[in-house]
Amino acid sequence: MESFAYPHFSSTVHVALFVHVTNAAKLKARIVRASTLEGTEGQVEREAVNFAFVDARLVTSVLHIQTAITQALLAAAQNTLRTKTVHSEVIWALNPSNNITEALRRYGVSDDTTALLVIRIDPLNPSGVKSRMSAAVEGTQVPMSQLASLTDWVSVKKYNKLNVDPVIREAQNNPAREHHLIDNIVVSLVAMKSVAA
Amino acid sequence: MADSIPTTALLHSSTLITQGAEAKVYRTSLHPGGAPVLLKHRFSKRYRHSTLDASLTRARVVGEARALLRCLRCGVSVPGLRFVDAANGVLGIEWVNGRSVRFLLGSGDEGEEADGNEDGVVADEELLAEYGVSKEALMKMVGTEIAKMHLADIVHGDLTTSNMMLRHPSSISDLPQGMQQLLLIDFGLAYTSSLTEDKAVDLYVLERAFASTHPDSSPLFGRVLEGYKEKMGKEWTAIGRRLEEGKLVACPHGQVDS
Repeated sequence: MESFAYPHFSSTVHVALFVHVTNAAKLKARIVRASTLEGTEGQVEREAVNFAFVDARLVTSVLHIQTAITQALLAAAQNTLRTKTVHSEVIWALNPSNNITEALRRYGVSDDTTALLVIRIDPLNPSGVKSRMSAAVEGTQVPMSQLASLTDWVSVKKYNKLNVDPVIREAQNNPAREHHLIDNIVVSLVAMKSVAA
Repeated sequence: MADSIPTTALLHSSTLITQGAEAKVYRTSLHPGGAPVLLKHRFSKRYRHSTLDASLTRARVVGEARALLRCLRCGVSVPGLRFVDAANGVLGIEWVNGRSVRFLLGSGDEGEEADGNEDGVVADEELLAEYGVSKEALMKMVGTEIAKMHLADIVHGDLTTSNMMLRHPSSISDLPQGMQQLLLIDFGLAYTSSLTEDKAVDLYVLERAFASTHPDSSPLFGRVLEGYKEKMGKEWTAIGRRLEEGKLVACPHGQVDS
């Protein structure tokens, strides 16, 4: 797990990367169920899954996810959240359209997810975040530097509608250059999501 | 306790680089241990009514962000976006390690009065050698990049040699092969247009900027046009004709540099 301090947002953000995740379907069902549970049981269950679960295959770089996190923090601070929580806002920021359901379906946890980025944004910086992440996700935690090797570039291009862009078509034969260009465009897309055309 | 407005707190923790009439430019780091980022803050103008000021500031930040994204998608070499807070007039863009073309041509950076004889300014040949390009090659790159932008129907609106940068060779080695060394910057006045007239005016503005900033600019601008022509292909004919006509109207007594 890595922790990033954002003093100007008075927040610390914890991010962990899990691979070989085996309980994605169960985790998804658990998140859905937690949202409707009532009473103390509901509170406990919601806290247990109080993270942003992001499909790591659609994230192109650490900067990509960090950009989504800062734009979500900014929206939360300015009371302009488009979704219910700062965690769902991170997932919403990653998807180029304004459709929240689509964002959750594509970038959130789905039944066949095997690599997950787990993110906790909390001004109070609670202890025991790491153990609670591990309790929620059955998988192997690996360093964030492995993110690049997990990226599914075909899906990234499709979801961000980059296949028609002249620059990407032209760079097809040079993967290193293509990936660099795609990363720069998707990071820019996330950064300007709040003012996208 | 941090400032209650995060973006203000962010600006306070950043280093002021320069200030223009429209904006202040800062260098900062958005993420702990992350790459440096340039913040462009369009501060509020007291001489404008506050409501008008807020909507103008917002519209310009939004416009600049969209123009940059359009350039990125069309393969025009520009810095990427990193942070947008339109409500507070702040735009965060990729930090480019390099120098403006104006500086590389030996006229210093904007704001500093340049004079080749003063000690402050290094001889431009030495500088260019450090960047590994000849003056001619640099001018051609400028022409090619402007042509790419115009082919994507983006008009810059404020082309000057200050609004172009060359990456330092030391920062290119981190990039994959085939990445552009020259970048166009400052899209605050950019808009989309497919009109010949708009593109010709863009070039005319640059020609005047060359003439007023750089001594013996005529051959330099000629090189820019060569690169531009080559990239534009058959679209050049109409723009070139319009550019010539425009000059005659602007300088009817034949004072145009050949």
